[in-house]
Amino acid sequence: MTGIIVLILASVLFVPQYGLFWRFRRRRWLHSRQAVEDALAHLHQFQHDGHPASVESLSNTLGTSMKHTLVLVNRMAQMDLVVVTGQGMRLTAAGHRWALQIVRAHRLFERYLADETSVPREEIHARAHRLEHTVTEAQVDKMDADMGHPAFDPQGDPIPNAAGDMKEIDSQKLVDWPAGVPALIVHIEDEPPEVYAQIIAEDLHPGMVITILDMSPVRLVIGTPDAEHVLAPVVAANVSVREAPGEIVEPAGVQLTTLKHGETGRVVGLAPACQGLTRRRFQDLGLTPGARVERVMQSAFSDPTAYRVRNTMIALRREQSDLIRIEKTPRKEQEFDA
Amino acid sequence: MSDTSTKPTAGEDILGRVEEMQRGLDGTYRDEIVEAIYQDAEAITRKVVRTDESASYPWDQKLDRIVTSKIWGLPFMALLLGVVFWITISGANVPSSLLAEGLFWLGARGVELFEAMGMPWWVTGFIWHGVYRGLAWVIAVMLPPMAIFFPIFTILEDLGYLPRVAFNVDALFKKAGAHGKQALTMSMGLGCNAAGVVACRVIDSPRERLIAILTNNFMPCNGRWPTLIILATLFVAAAFPPAFAAMAAAGSLVLIVLIGAATTLLVSAVLSRSFLRGEASSFTLELPPYRRPSILRVLYTSLIDRTIFVLWRAVVMAVPAGGVIWLLSNIHAGGQSLTVWVSQWLEPVGRAIGLDGVILLAYIIAIPANEIVVPTIIMAYTGAGMMIELDTMAELQHLLVDQQGWTLLTAVCLMLFSLLHNPCSTTMWTVYRETRSVKWTVVSGLMPLAIAFLLLFIVAQTAYWVMGLMGW
Repeated sequence: MTGIIVLILASVLFVPQYGLFWRFRRRRWLHSRQAVEDALAHLHQFQHDGHPASVESLSNTLGTSMKHTLVLVNRMAQMDLVVVTGQGMRLTAAGHRWALQIVRAHRLFERYLADETSVPREEIHARAHRLEHTVTEAQVDKMDADMGHPAFDPQGDPIPNAAGDMKEIDSQKLVDWPAGVPALIVHIEDEPPEVYAQIIAEDLHPGMVITILDMSPVRLVIGTPDAEHVLAPVVAANVSVREAPGEIVEPAGVQLTTLKHGETGRVVGLAPACQGLTRRRFQDLGLTPGARVERVMQSAFSDPTAYRVRNTMIALRREQSDLIRIEKTPRKEQEFDA
Repeated sequence: MSDTSTKPTAGEDILGRVEEMQRGLDGTYRDEIVEAIYQDAEAITRKVVRTDESASYPWDQKLDRIVTSKIWGLPFMALLLGVVFWITISGANVPSSLLAEGLFWLGARGVELFEAMGMPWWVTGFIWHGVYRGLAWVIAVMLPPMAIFFPIFTILEDLGYLPRVAFNVDALFKKAGAHGKQALTMSMGLGCNAAGVVACRVIDSPRERLIAILTNNFMPCNGRWPTLIILATLFVAAAFPPAFAAMAAAGSLVLIVLIGAATTLLVSAVLSRSFLRGEASSFTLELPPYRRPSILRVLYTSLIDRTIFVLWRAVVMAVPAGGVIWLLSNIHAGGQSLTVWVSQWLEPVGRAIGLDGVILLAYIIAIPANEIVVPTIIMAYTGAGMMIELDTMAELQHLLVDQQGWTLLTAVCLMLFSLLHNPCSTTMWTVYRETRSVKWTVVSGLMPLAIAFLLLFIVAQTAYWVMGLMGW
């Protein structure tokens, strides 16, 4: 008997969608800063892309019912953030300013998470999305200054400055790029997450130089100096490129892993796939072009391996030392080298 | 978009131009800055620093070749661990009993004072037999081993050996999707899990740090050593001549730690393939040259930063626990104390996992501080109104084996339970402080408990089944 009462009570509270608990959550969300800011970000995105946003598109993006979305839109109109016209909704000047602040906070957080933490790439967007609603404008300004006013987020999206200006970059979708011409990746779209995950799996980053090797309606084969990648055209449509500047940026040389016991070499550069915190850590350790490296010892299980870099012993796992390109020093030169 | 109605000042003008130029830079300018800094630094050092290349590192390299060798590296680690345990255990014996004697003597004077003042018996009992005795117990049992273990640990750290440990075992942690520095946080956990959880800050990837925090509990802290040592002495070392007893105890402790390490790796691997899915992040570990430890720093870090800090938290937690123990054993209902009621109620659960109700009760009471597990068990078995300890191992053996029917199975199950069960409240509070997440704090408490119950249930039921087959 008690069991049945508990069951009924639990279902009244927690049945998905209709349970009191969820109703309460939705109601609270509707009045939150996050609801307004998510709506602003959506309107800004649509306006930026040149098509008008409607209540339908808004309710789709936010995942709320039409009824709740209307409540939200009315509230935002009262706050003088949007104007509802015949063509749909338009941001007011105040709404526009606020929207840019959110975009700015979001992209700065993404930049921060990518450079200063080792949060995995596929989680960065979601985390930045949570964090963007927690800061004030002054905090965002301070963050911007502390990070040295970065101009782009890790996907290659421009970060607006305090005045709201941002640099637009000329780019083309990878699917429209001619085969055989080297292209520089300038932007990777991080939505929808399913497509973004495929791009991450191929380890493509803004700043990489790629060449389309083969193209067909069902697949694109692209080459980087290290590997070949196969992408579906829908995936490639989320990668934007422009003409590669000058010569190939790819550092020559061989991977550090190929260094044998007791051999020395000089660093030529870091692979472009080495980004974010790893790249910064390597640079802090002095793994810059010209640095002398010597393989010293292996651990009891063969991996990691310890190298002497600038007179400091540093242990690296194989995956990391693959990212470092070196030039081996021939044996007879080693004595002079020291 | 920009607001041009106000004329920019000279400063704003410059900043604006900087920003404009910055936007013209491509992604590699950061690399170029770092390279330029290193080139300058190199040029300067070449001018002003002279090094004698021929004389450097021979000693270091020889030592490194041994401690990281494929054959000697891991045995050396285990041996060192054993020696550290042996020094801690045998060194802590005398000061622990002296402290206990001293503090209990003081407690007896306190009781006399209260009685002379004509306080009601329950005030005297609650304050001196409950709260004070719990406190004295925790200090006596915890302080000496920590005051020995932490300095040794800090010396190894200062010497430069600990990074070599991380270097040696990193491959195992990589397979488990974790970070090699977790080995450092685990060794710290041998001293105290709360300190181990704080030490997880050295791991910079949030996912791997969380794994290290959640699994730190599988390293038995020295609050749990007394229980393990008593069991090892009663059931393992009894088979050895007395001269080797301390060594046998240290040896079985090493074995327990190895089981704990295996559990840590296993749980880390499961976590990093389920709730904390992700690739092993980048790993760079600096192996500093060996150097002579600085005594003052060792004493300061180990005694002030670690020992006192941990002891203070434990004391804060032990005070209410002492009070609860006294209340449980002195409040009577229906002719028996609450201790008896609760342990009777827990008996079937305890039996199912090879223990008994009293042991489970002791572990519930000991959530604030695991040091008091054994005295609480003895208290409940003997029906005393306060925590007591027996004077000799023979008496203890008589009580546990002859009167309460403990078997080798009980000992094995209790050792495993002590190793795997939930962390103490100090550790859980620290987990909360470090993660700022109620969810992960709850997981850090319930996950080990569930693992302990499941494993013990399997062990005990298998043992009962086998014993049934053999007709015992």
